[in-house]
Formats: sequence, structure tokens, C-alpha cells
Amino acid sequence: MFNFFLLILIYTGIYSLMSMGQNLMTGYTGMLSLCQAGFFAIGSYVTAILTTRYGFSFWATIPLSAMMAAVFGILIGLPTLRLKGDYLAIATLGFGEIVRNVLNNWDSLTGGPMGIQRIPMVKFFGFTINPYKKIAFLVMVWIFVLVFYIMFERLGRSRMGRALQAIRDDEIAAEAMGINTTKYKVWAFAIGAAAAGVAGSLQTVYSLSVTPASYTFMVSVLVLCMVVLGGMGNFAAVILGTFIIQLISYFPQLVGLSSVIPAQFKQILFGLILVCMMIWRPQGIIGTRSYMVGKNRVKMEAADELA
Amino acid sequence: MVSVSEFFQHLMNGLTLGGIYALIALGYTMVYGILKFINFAHGDILMFGAYIGLFCFDALRGNAPLGTWTFISFFIAMLISMVVTAGLGVATERIAYRPLRKANRLAPLLSAIGVSFILSNSAAWIWGTQSRKLNYPFDNTPFNIKGVVITPHQVMVLIVSLIMMVSLILFVNKTRMGKAMRAVSLDQDTSRLMGINVNQVISMTFAIGSALAASGGMLIALDYKVYPSMGMMLGLKAFVAAVVGGIGNIGGAMLGGILLGLLETFGVAIFGIPTAMKDTISFAILILVLLLKPEGLLGKAVKEKV
Amino acid sequence: MKKRTFLVLVVALIASAMAFAGGDKEEKSSYKLGFIGPLTGDNANYGTMSRDAAYLAAEHFNAAGGINGIPVEIIAEDSEGTVEKGLSAIEKLANTDKISGLIGPVFTSTTIAVGDRVQNEGIPLITGSATFSDLTNIGDMVFRTVVSDGLQGEVAGHYFYEVLGYRNLAVLYAKNDYSQGLYESMSATFESLGGTIIDAESFMVGDKDFKTQLTKIKQVNADAIYIPNYTVEMAQILEQASQLGVDAPFLSCDGFSDPEIYNLAGNFTDGVVYVAPAQVEKSDLYTEFAKDYTEHFGIAPDSFATNAYDATNVMLQALTRAVANGDDSRQALRDEIAKTKDFKGASGIVNFAPNGDLIANQGVYKVEGTTPVYIGAFAVVDGKLSKVE
Repeated sequence: MFNFFLLILIYTGIYSLMSMGQNLMTGYTGMLSLCQAGFFAIGSYVTAILTTRYGFSFWATIPLSAMMAAVFGILIGLPTLRLKGDYLAIATLGFGEIVRNVLNNWDSLTGGPMGIQRIPMVKFFGFTINPYKKIAFLVMVWIFVLVFYIMFERLGRSRMGRALQAIRDDEIAAEAMGINTTKYKVWAFAIGAAAAGVAGSLQTVYSLSVTPASYTFMVSVLVLCMVVLGGMGNFAAVILGTFIIQLISYFPQLVGLSSVIPAQFKQILFGLILVCMMIWRPQGIIGTRSYMVGKNRVKMEAADELA
Repeated sequence: MVSVSEFFQHLMNGLTLGGIYALIALGYTMVYGILKFINFAHGDILMFGAYIGLFCFDALRGNAPLGTWTFISFFIAMLISMVVTAGLGVATERIAYRPLRKANRLAPLLSAIGVSFILSNSAAWIWGTQSRKLNYPFDNTPFNIKGVVITPHQVMVLIVSLIMMVSLILFVNKTRMGKAMRAVSLDQDTSRLMGINVNQVISMTFAIGSALAASGGMLIALDYKVYPSMGMMLGLKAFVAAVVGGIGNIGGAMLGGILLGLLETFGVAIFGIPTAMKDTISFAILILVLLLKPEGLLGKAVKEKV
Repeated sequence: MKKRTFLVLVVALIASAMAFAGGDKEEKSSYKLGFIGPLTGDNANYGTMSRDAAYLAAEHFNAAGGINGIPVEIIAEDSEGTVEKGLSAIEKLANTDKISGLIGPVFTSTTIAVGDRVQNEGIPLITGSATFSDLTNIGDMVFRTVVSDGLQGEVAGHYFYEVLGYRNLAVLYAKNDYSQGLYESMSATFESLGGTIIDAESFMVGDKDFKTQLTKIKQVNADAIYIPNYTVEMAQILEQASQLGVDAPFLSCDGFSDPEIYNLAGNFTDGVVYVAPAQVEKSDLYTEFAKDYTEHFGIAPDSFATNAYDATNVMLQALTRAVANGDDSRQALRDEIAKTKDFKGASGIVNFAPNGDLIANQGVYKVEGTTPVYIGAFAVVDGKLSKVE
């Protein structure tokens, strides 16, 4: 019970990194991206491959995971970021699916559908951070969360954060004020991706094996839900949102109901919560109406027509 | 090297796969054209349609051998399924999307994902997770034309999607309701001022989109079987097709579907891409098209107003 | 204000969770076994069938009096087919329910992650369907009542080459652990004997259209086509192959032992040769199980269900013996499982190798119309295929 609660906290920590990254993309900059799962997978596999095959230590793979995810973020970001709203969402969703597809097919590098096993546990000055023992692992995860939280908060209040918000509120006006919108958008995308990459590394050393099946686009959707539920544009709120979604996901197991109720109930309940949430509190738990995506874009795009 | 008959066989396979994508893409494009909103639950509506069709068909057909009656009962089942599924579509719009019409763009998207969760898991709960077979209502023995094999089902898929495309275009362009739909898609508020019942128009859009999905679902189920997650990947691919063709454009959905089907098939058949990478081809084309012509192949470019 | 309401709600949620948990302090009213498998999501069908089989085994066991009148309870958790949920499931089973042993997880990827975990915790695990060759190397806690890809593929490769005399094979497999594992081990054996895999086509899990792959395969004129897949995909492949006029014979794997295939694929199954666990001699166990299962759940059991049924029964027998010896600890249960000898299961005789793998002779079957005809049991001894009597 208590152990299970720790597990929820660990998952919350790992997902918080992803959702804070998503928040920078979506909450701050107004880019509706749906490929955190892709970056998560890239980070996971970087750690898995480097530690098992090339003897890297976990700590050395962290910056590499972040960098690799960021590079892919820039690669996908540079061309797609001029797309708006739904189009960006679809393009990024496509990218996430490509990542999973490639991981599943590139047998020599990724182990194909079998994935990679026997990933060594994290060592910290001779002390093994055993994911089964949880407490040490939990502390490690939340130190990462704290570091990223401080980084993101500072980023949000910096010149860049203000530029991003300006882009979200009105991209054209922002450009007119001399903000290099492309540069800032790509940066936001890269940083958001890097955070997901680090989350992937942590996930890898928690589960100690990786397979492509874990990185479906539902993960991206879940992360987006966490951001929206918590409150866009507010990093602390996003962490809260992450916790709540994880708590909802694992509540039946936490209280021992999961084996009593039909397995589908949890999913149906999750769907219901999503719908109700959107109807009654679309701005999230902690969030204000000013943090909406594209509120003045609706009219612009309404001009597409039905031929 | 690819022989002539193999080439034409791939062409035929690609065309029918494309026809299937197009069949679903039409419904997506309908809804997006009018509401500017990705109905993520479209694939699940399709799955519901297929289940209802399956039950009706089995009940109507009984043990009758293949013949005229099976053919007729298949279409009766399809009609019933279309009506029921249209109701389901309208209901989901009422409950999950209508309250969000004025909200930001994310809200309906997430709400649709929620609906998709509810529908697919309810189906799994009610009907179980095993694949069920929907029997062919006609003799599906293939024709062999100079080494190229074509099944009646393939022909049917292509014809039905063509008929649907044409009738949709006619409906949208020639009828009063169609005109109202186009007006609503341009500007909801102004349409309301012009005396158009916007809610009714949107309900109608969902009804038509869902009915299309139901008929498409049944046709697809003949080949692919019926199971709770049948709509997911197909829905995603069809959506990609709609975007590639130019979302909101009915002809574009058809074009996008066929194009995707052909490129997936020829990509692996001729260019030697590993066959399991078919999805990568689709998504790469999607990204490419969005980059070169973000409005899609047949979509109209829209200037941003400043 | 609203912020606070939500925070209160969250706190209440947690508090109620704690309260719930406080309630179940245990006294030995039942023995608990866990089950993990995908109960929702794309592969839900395989998980559900395995779980139902485990339920059925426990029900029979309890009806027969349980262990000295104490019933056994199967606690099923959903893995959604992912490692992440699999780990949360084992966490709950291990620490909240304090299970004695675990049935499942159904698929290899989850089983590896969960296997590492149970090895660490000392919980014995029997999976009825994870076939990845390397799996049982995790440790002494991991057993399976399904043969590894390696064993089945080896027999298949030898049989196709030596008995059937094929030299050129084409393969159509899915990019999942089961299918690819069988393809790899069969082709390794087949090629080492001197045969050639002239075309290997793959597809993604969830694909239903194989016409492109089959059209390519048709052109290479293979002696036969090996399709190591799950039932539904195989039905689909056979049907589409017949539409395309592919006339090479088809070869298959234990996925074909699911009677559902005849329902889905009908006459297209005629002539298929497949390798699956050898038949139990004059045993009505399978027929009885199939009848029972069908009555309970409305559908016929597949190979997943049959193997999970055996896995559960093996564990229940072992638990009974352990309790009789006065030690119901997890370690004792593990030792009793390892001592399992000639257990007569619905899928055949169950014996475990020292590493936890199922020792089973592979049977070869040939389908005539829609009835599988048993040809015989085979084993590979010293690199040679020999018939087992």
C-alpha cells in the first residue's frame, strides 16, 4: 500500500518531466504538440543502448539523452513549427508514430520488438539505487523534477519566457515587436523534448528493460491531459495535474479495487473524467482563462471551407 | 524486377487499401470541414457501426445460404446500423462537444479522446475482445484477369467510396442543407444571424459523418473482422489521408486515401522499404505534405488576417 | 477558492485510499495467486482469455475443496500490454495482496520486466504464453508452460527441411516478440541445414491487410510459406492468400492450435502443416477443459487459455504440496513447482527443465479440411530430428 503509493510518486516524477516540457511547448508557446512519447522513447533507448552495449554509466547518458531528444526536437520542429494548431498536432503525432515504428524495425540497434533487457541499475558513489527498494529511487527522481522545475520556472520568467508567451498570445504581433519567433519556438520545442528525453532515461532505469510497445501515442495524449488538467502555463500546476492523472490511473490498484471491477471500467472512467473536465473546467484545476491556446486563432482558421 | 502482372496486382491492392482509407476519411473531413475539430472518436464510432451491423446481419440472415436474400439483408443491416450509429454520433456531439464549441481548441480535442476511450472500452466490456467474423453476403470468389486477381469485395469498396464521395459533394453543393453547412463552416455567428439553425446543421453533420462511418465499418469488417480496437489505427490512417488530401475537402479525402494506399503499397513493393515500415511511409508523407502545402493537396490556402 | 476545493478533493482521495487499505489486515482465509495480462488495449483478447482460464482452474480447484478447505483466490491485474503498467500491477500484487505466486504476464516484454522484479522479490512466476528464448535466464523464479521460440523453431526448421524436403521458404511474420522469435529460430535452424529463406516479409501488429506482402511472396515461388503468427492474423493471411491465388503450402506454429482459426478462416486452412505441443495420449483433459471453458465464457479456449490453465493448475498442485509439507512460503512454492513431474495438463504433459523452460515434445499436425490430423511427436537429438514414440 505504502509502497504502491511510492510507485505512483515515482511515475508522477517521471511524467512530470514530460509534462513540464509539454507545458513549455503548449502552455507557454501555444504549440499543440503530440509527440512527447517519441522523445520519451528516444531518451529511453539512448540510455538503454549506451548502458548495456557500450558500458556507459547512467549519469553519463542523461545529458546524451537530453541532447538526442533535443536534436530530434529541432529536426522535427524546424520544418513543422510554422504549422498551426491541429496541423502541428497531427504532424507531431505522425513523428511520434514514426519513432515507434523505427524502434520496432531497427532490430540491430534497438532489439526490435524484444527490446533491450538487463539494463544495469543506477550506481551513485558505489551505492546502488535499486528501483525495487523505491525510496532512494524516488528521491533521485524528485531531485530531477526539482532541478527541472527551477530551470523551467526561471526560464518562464526570463526574456525567453516572455517572448514565448507573446508568441502564444499573438504570433504576428510578437513578430512585429522584433521577436524572432522561429528561433524561440524551436528552442521551446527542443527544451521540452530534452525534458522528455531525461524522463525516458529515468523510466529505463526504473523498469530495467525497454520495448517499443510502451511508447504509443496514448502516452503523448496522457501527458497533454496532465498539462491541461493541471493548468496551462503554470509548472507547479502541471506537476499537480500529473499527480492527479497518475492517481486516477492507479487508484483502483491502490485501494485494491482493480481486480474486482471489470478492467475496462478504469479506462471508461478516465474517458468520463476527461470529458467532464473539459466541459466544466477546461482551463484546468489551477489555471486562468488567459492561459488558453489559440483563443484568437479560431476565427482565422474558420475560413477553411468545405468544398 | 517487378513483372507486369505483379505491378498491376500491387496497383489493385493499393487502390483498395486506399479505398478503405478514403471511406473513413470522408467522415473525418465532413466534421472537420464544418467544426474545425478532429473527431478522434470517429474510428470508434465506425467500430460501433460494424458491431451493430454484424448483429443485425446475423439475425436477419439466419442460416440462409448465399443468395439474393443475404445481399438484401446485408443492406438492411447496414441501414439499421447507419441509423443507430448516426444517433450515437449526434448524442456524442450533444453531450461531449457542443458545450465546448466556444472553448479553446484543445478542449474538444481532449474531449473527443475521452469519448474514444469510453466507446472502445465499453465495446470491449459489452461484446468481449475477440475478433468476430462478418460473413460475406455475396460470393467473394476472385476474378483473375491476366494474372491480376480482383475480389468482388475490392470492387465493392471502391465503388461504394466513389458513390459516397459523389453523393456527398452533390449534397454539400446542391442542397439547402449543404448550403447551410458551408455557411456554418465559414462563420457560425453570421450564419445564425442569417437564420440558419446552427445546432441543427451541426447535428446533421455528425449524423451523416457517423452514418458514413457505420457503412464504411461494415464494408471494412468483411475483410478485417470486427473487434473493439478496429477503429484506432484505421482511424488514424484515414485521418492522415484526409489531411494529405486537404482536410475539409471531400474530393481531397478520396484523393488522399487512394494516394496513401498506393504509396504504402508501392513504397514497400517497389522501393524495397521493409514491409512493416508501411506506417512510417504514411506519416512521412503526411509531414512532407504539411510542409510543402500545409492546406493539403486539394485544400485552399488561407491567408491569416492580421 | 476553487483551487482549495480541488486540493481538498485530492487529499480526500488519498485519505480514502489509506482507509481502504487499513481495512484488509489479513488472516489466512485464502491463498492468493496473482495474474497479470493485458485486459484492455490492443491485445486485450489474449489477456482476457488467459485470465478466464486461470479463474476456471481456481474455480475447479476450490470446488474440489481447495487446500484443506481453504480456497484459492486469483487476483487479476491489467498490464495494458506495457512495461509501466505491468510493474505497477506486480507492485500491487506483491505488496498489497501478498500473493504466493504469479500467473502470466502474457507477453514477453512485460514478462521480462515483471520477471526481473519477481526474481528480486522471490515470487515464483509461471507464464503460459511468453515464448522469448532468453526469458527463463532471468532466474530460478521464472517458469513457463509454453515452449520457448527456440525449441519450437528448431523442430520446425528440421521438420520442414528433413521431412517435408523444402529448400526455399518464404516467411511472413509480425513485428512482435512471439512472431519474430519463431521466425528467427526457425530460419536459423533451416539455414544451418542448408535451406534458404528466400523472402521474409513483416508487418506491424494491428495490420489486417497483407496483400502487398503476399503479392511479393507469390512472385518468389517459395516451396512453402511459414506464417508464425497469432490466430486472427493467420486467418487473415490464409484468406487473402487464397484470394490472391498463392498456391504454395502454408506452414505454421502453435498459434494454429486455437480452434477459432477454423471459425475465422474456414476452408482456407486445408493443407496447413503446423508445429505445436505434442498431443497427450488418450487424454480427455483438453476436451473437458474446452467444453467447460466454452460453457463458462461463451467462446472456445485458444492456446493462450489452455497454457494459462495448465500454468494455474501446476501452481495450485505445487501450492497444495507445499502446504502439505507445512511451508506455504514463496520459496517453498517455487521449489515445489520445480519438482513438478509429468503433470497431466490440458495442453500435454508438463515437465520443467532446470532453467524453468517447459520440456515438451513438439507435435506436427496437418490440417485436412478443417480438422487437424496428428502426425506425430518429434524432438531434435544431437542435431538430428527424430520421432518420439
